[in-house]
Amino acid sequence: MEELGRIHQLIIPFFGHDLTFNLEVIIMTWIVISILLLFGFLASSKKGVIPGPLQVVGELLVAQLFALTEDALGEELGKKYAPLICALFMFLVLSNWIGIVPMMHEPTKDLNTPLSLGLLGFFISHYLGIKTKGIKAYLKAYVDPFFFMMPLNVIGEVAKVVSISFRLFGNIMGGSIIILVISYLVYNLILPPFLNAFFGVFVGAIQAFVFTMLTLVYIAVQVK
Amino acid sequence: MTGIEWIKAASVLGAGMSVGFAAIGAAVGEGYTAGKANEALSFRPNLVGDILKTMLVGQAVAETAGIFGLVIAMLLLFSPIEGKSVLTAWAYMGAGLSMGLSAIGCGIGAGLPAGTACQGIGRQPMVSGQLSTLMLIGSGVAQSTAIYGFLIALLLLYKQLPMGMAIVPACSMVGAGLCMGFGGIGPGIGEGMAAMEAVSAVARNPLTVGLMTRTMLVGQAVSESTGIYSLVVALLLVLSV
Repeated sequence: MEELGRIHQLIIPFFGHDLTFNLEVIIMTWIVISILLLFGFLASSKKGVIPGPLQVVGELLVAQLFALTEDALGEELGKKYAPLICALFMFLVLSNWIGIVPMMHEPTKDLNTPLSLGLLGFFISHYLGIKTKGIKAYLKAYVDPFFFMMPLNVIGEVAKVVSISFRLFGNIMGGSIIILVISYLVYNLILPPFLNAFFGVFVGAIQAFVFTMLTLVYIAVQVK
Repeated sequence: MTGIEWIKAASVLGAGMSVGFAAIGAAVGEGYTAGKANEALSFRPNLVGDILKTMLVGQAVAETAGIFGLVIAMLLLFSPIEGKSVLTAWAYMGAGLSMGLSAIGCGIGAGLPAGTACQGIGRQPMVSGQLSTLMLIGSGVAQSTAIYGFLIALLLLYKQLPMGMAIVPACSMVGAGLCMGFGGIGPGIGEGMAAMEAVSAVARNPLTVGLMTRTMLVGQAVSESTGIYSLVVALLLVLSV
């Protein structure tokens, strides 16, 4: 049970401060990125009218996510931001699924990954809000319905980042803790594969989709 | 009794409260979903695949609150307790209360849109994709307060506490748990209602999906504001120790 909440860290002293790197998370993130790059390369290298299996999967993902983005943001902005949404979804799904391979760990199990992706969505949505509505209309949304509500509106915006990143983190970390504890209690007999299928594949895919859709919807709320 | 015994006692009590209360909401929400799916199937038996799929996805989302309760219970039971301050016992009780109570509302709230989505697919099979997407967004947002409860519980679990016993810090940690726990019930159900009606409106008139999504999110953000007050007060209480 000692594995509960343990992290491999590399701590480098840097001008009186300690720089902490979570090695496992960094390595797993790079593995996920390289698998995605390999998938993209293989899916698009041999393009044809009769598509290969990888090209079918790639086209399916891209077409569905482009349609969802254009529904939410409109034609023009949708084309521009759909690659971001595609990349986010594919990265999150693969990150959540990689934990079912033995010896691999989900990068999303560490709070740093979901929180940085949540902040990414936060900054993109507010940048787009200022750009499309103008700074005046953007700031006016904060003093809605009257001026005293401003602090709470600001806290509400920050709370969105907290809730979106902790939702993903809690589900994935929770799943891995439950798998660890139950595997320990039943001496790794029979149950763990089913738990991996539920928490890894099923919940992982749902949470990746929820995270992506919420990022998209938060952008759409700022734009319109 | 020694300090270690007090901490052990509080950890089992907190674990019981966490998973016990959290189970209420998740079970009610999932049952509601299953009931509505049955109702939809009774007049659209040929859509069994679509409706069952939506029901299972919706139930998995509604289960999240219960799973959070289970995770906090396991962390409470299996954390090492040697050499910790007696105040940890109070923090553990606060963690159990915060997670357990806040999950009640969110389980119910996440189940409401899932049930209506099953019904809506029975009504408008052509827009099942849009209905499932809207349901996932609505249920996901309805869980925000359970996530705040989870955050407060994690903060209480891993906080470095001063040694020795004093009544004010002890009560402020239980108070933080109660504040976030009770504060999380109402927003969860309220946001679930907003999402439920949005899903049912799209099932009636699929062309309004964009407008409904935005209106739902704005309404949910307003009904979540009391949950955010609780989060702010709970954070102040935890960080004041």
